[in-house]
Amino acid sequence: MIPLLKNPEMNFGAITFFARQHKEDMCGSNGLPLTPNSIIIYGRAQKLKSINSPYLCQYLDIIRGKHERTVVVCQYCGIPLLNYLEKETFTLTDIKRIAYQILQGLNILHKRNIVHRNLSSENVLLQGNVIKMFNYGLYYLTDNGKLVSFPVVQLLYAAPEIYLDGIHNSLPNPAVDIWALGIILAELVLNKKLWNYLKVGQRIRKILSLLQSNTSVFERIAREHNAYDEYTNVPDELKEIIESCLNIDPTKRPTCEDLLKKSIFNEFLIQNGYINNDVKKFETFAISELYHWWQLAGGDVLQELKKQGLIRSSPPILSLPHLVLIEGNILGQERNPATLYDPRIVEMPLDALYQRFENISFSAFYPLIQIKSKIISQSEPQSYDATGLPLIIKERDPEYQFHRIILFRRLLHGYPFTKDLIRKEAEKDIPPLLRGEIWAALLDVKSDYKYRYMKLDKYTLTPTDRQIEVDIPRCHQYNELLSSSEGHKKLKRILKAWVFKNSHYVYWQGLDSLTAPFLYLNFNDEAKAFACLSAFVPKFLHKFFLKDNSAVIEEYLAKFSQLIAFHDPVLANHLYEINFYPQLFAIPWFLTLFSHVFPLHKILHLWDKVLLGNSSFSLHIGLSVLTQLRERLLSSGFNECILLFSDLPEVDIEKCVTLSTETFKVTPISITEREHENDEFRTKDEYDISGVTLHDLKQERYPRISARDVIELIRTNPDKILVIDIRNLIQYNRCSVINSISIPFSSISFTENKIENVGNNSTQLESTKDKVVVVIGDEETDLELFPTFLLRCNVKKVCVLHGGFNVLLPVSPTVLVSQNNIG
Amino acid sequence: MATNRTGTAQRPNGATQGKICQFKLVLLGESAVGKSSLVLRFVKGQFHEYQESTIGAAFLTQTICLDDTTVKFEIWDTAGQERYHSLAPMYYRGAQAAIVVYDITNQDTFGRAKTWVKELQRQASPTIVIALAGNKQDLANKRMVEYEEAQTYADENGLLFMETSAKTAMNVNDIFLAIAKKLPKNEQTTGQGGSAQGRRLAEGDAGAKTAGNCCK
Repeated sequence: MIPLLKNPEMNFGAITFFARQHKEDMCGSNGLPLTPNSIIIYGRAQKLKSINSPYLCQYLDIIRGKHERTVVVCQYCGIPLLNYLEKETFTLTDIKRIAYQILQGLNILHKRNIVHRNLSSENVLLQGNVIKMFNYGLYYLTDNGKLVSFPVVQLLYAAPEIYLDGIHNSLPNPAVDIWALGIILAELVLNKKLWNYLKVGQRIRKILSLLQSNTSVFERIAREHNAYDEYTNVPDELKEIIESCLNIDPTKRPTCEDLLKKSIFNEFLIQNGYINNDVKKFETFAISELYHWWQLAGGDVLQELKKQGLIRSSPPILSLPHLVLIEGNILGQERNPATLYDPRIVEMPLDALYQRFENISFSAFYPLIQIKSKIISQSEPQSYDATGLPLIIKERDPEYQFHRIILFRRLLHGYPFTKDLIRKEAEKDIPPLLRGEIWAALLDVKSDYKYRYMKLDKYTLTPTDRQIEVDIPRCHQYNELLSSSEGHKKLKRILKAWVFKNSHYVYWQGLDSLTAPFLYLNFNDEAKAFACLSAFVPKFLHKFFLKDNSAVIEEYLAKFSQLIAFHDPVLANHLYEINFYPQLFAIPWFLTLFSHVFPLHKILHLWDKVLLGNSSFSLHIGLSVLTQLRERLLSSGFNECILLFSDLPEVDIEKCVTLSTETFKVTPISITEREHENDEFRTKDEYDISGVTLHDLKQERYPRISARDVIELIRTNPDKILVIDIRNLIQYNRCSVINSISIPFSSISFTENKIENVGNNSTQLESTKDKVVVVIGDEETDLELFPTFLLRCNVKKVCVLHGGFNVLLPVSPTVLVSQNNIG
Repeated sequence: MATNRTGTAQRPNGATQGKICQFKLVLLGESAVGKSSLVLRFVKGQFHEYQESTIGAAFLTQTICLDDTTVKFEIWDTAGQERYHSLAPMYYRGAQAAIVVYDITNQDTFGRAKTWVKELQRQASPTIVIALAGNKQDLANKRMVEYEEAQTYADENGLLFMETSAKTAMNVNDIFLAIAKKLPKNEQTTGQGGSAQGRRLAEGDAGAKTAGNCCK
């Protein structure tokens, strides 16, 4: 297995620099503090992580350290071209190949409106036959150098216009990269380190002197380095390319596209009989995953940088200014040399990871996902067993995450054909690194999501904008991604697109929080975040965002009260007595599916389960929150209870997940089923509950159960149901549900909350042992008093058969018996 | 000062046992004007730059001492978005005091504040004490609503008025104190009316439920 991991392509390193600090603690025009530059960098850099090319070192991570420090973690493999110069000679083919590969890499960047501007033969790394450019994102992620206090420039390789316009003023122009390429090619064909012996100022003067050149720039460079012979030996076609790159007029330089069309590159176009390799190959794992495992196995980038002396802490007293004016102006602060650019790259040691993964077998990299033959499945190595471990441990176990990621990666590759398998595996747990993709698969996001999103208007001003704009800067702002300016822009676009597309819905405050987890997980794929949101709302929050959503929310809250009564009558009775209604505290819970209530890391774990359930699941989550606070609620009055929810105490989310999954499993579906559910996700017939008005629903403190669920329980789980027939004895004897007990309605006094009042059967009701207690009556019986009485007596799981006894008659003779016959 | 802080109820001789009054107070106003921030500053002395938006409403309490009286505020902090408007009556019904908040850097929020005042004058208890708070005074250099304009409006409508800053804490305690002073303190002398007060709200809420006008 080690050879697979020990691929040199899988090495990575880090560089570090400081973002420019804001002068004082200044506020923006909205009264909020200015976003720290390191956060802006953090947001911008995310895009770089999504760039994937064999000719570009893959960006892996951005880490923010203290005092605006930014650390960039990036793939790093090979040796800088510079190190070969004047030592080895490159053949003409080598040089052409290098030129071709640099152009391919630059082309990818330029197509994404990223200008390298940092290109030099020092950060073009050569390994075998392939070059990879390194540190190509510095100029972009620092917003064209504006967010740092050092110039982003490679002295020798900078095009003259950069100096002429001023290093900080020039606009990003891809033509500067073409110039730099020209210089690199000149170095290679002449095999010289240019102006190597000169000082910084002299070098710049040399570059500027090229402007005065009467002959071609390339020729002049060759003459200056006593390499005119080499110059004349360069084949015309290549010479022409170099000369066109080194045109002092940036508008006259060719683009990458132009150059790639040149015939000298034809030999590289076709490989293995295929033109280019645009088809994405399936990799067993990617370097980003290796980096993730490395971190889990104890790898720590900041620690390594400290070890190598790139991060040095100095006593704070040394950075004190000499004078601070009362307005906050600072004078006489010595410039910390650490704020300058440090070009050193620290390669990260991978030994600890190799050791940790030593025992992983080769076949573990290629797990079988569809095993039909028993023999094969027996010969498969035993899977790494982590069941029973807490989620938090599983998520940090490198081996476990290795197996999960390898497996899910394959499954996702096969999506949508592997949809069921993905769901099945997701029930165990979801590896955090692939959560975004897994969620999208669970939500059935279709492959054309990008096109769909592209078509939507995200720009036109609407009356909703003001609300969106004031909500975004307060939405999960403790999170670096969501607080970055990129994050704000993206969130705004997604929300506007959603409002535009769902014209039957409106923007309710809370939609921002609801979108946040999707954006966080798909920060580089806005369209996917939008697609997830668009699939999530109809499935879990159908009609919640109607302009008039009162009926929908009221129904939800009424069902919530009933669910509490069903599982925890003691608590329900207490809350009822102190007039503590869900309306007062639970609207943000359900409207945003807790995304406005919990921090992101909790929402992610919660939604891992939400996505596997149906739209009733959030009611169970609500119940689990109450259950965790149960003791405090029971001992508190109205004010204390409401205070508890205005300032929600720490809630253990894993407990929530466990509790809600448990109650979800044992609650008959119809208990929480609602009129306003989305018909797309369920089929209804006459044996389901329907026709209950909202008014009635709110009056009923206990839930109704459908005939379908009752029959199902009697047939499959007879020991989990207790049927109480409250019709009169004659009717009961004539025909009744099998094993039901008769407690004629008229025989009981409801004046006291004493279960003994029901007579002989009271013992059975006192210990229902988690049985669902179904009260069955008919038109002549009062279907309110008795179940309310049971609830007041703290009997658990009380519900009423919707439609009464008669609804069972045509459905299922097999669940009915006649006592007369038995007698 | 110190005696005020400890409260009259704890005076050793017990002869001048002070009154304890509870008042229900509601905060209204356009979203992002700083309602929650004002409450947070008043109740906990804190300020969060990125105070999350309020959905539905939040509830907090704070007690202050006023001469011989301990005044306990039960504060309902409501959602500002216009769409949540229909929830508001549930909170201001039965309230003895209201703070209508606007943002001095945004003229529209002042207009909205006026609408709230009108609604309170029409719908809320006729004895309700209304205070107008021009919040974000710390951003006075970006002011769009003149102090005099708001003062005149407040005078015309018999409102208490102050410009406040939840960020710098300016006038925050003062506005609550001014309200407490203006509230009648003879009738409510409940020692343990916590839940009674709550019940009052909840009854109103039950009314709202049957009328079905929540979340419209």
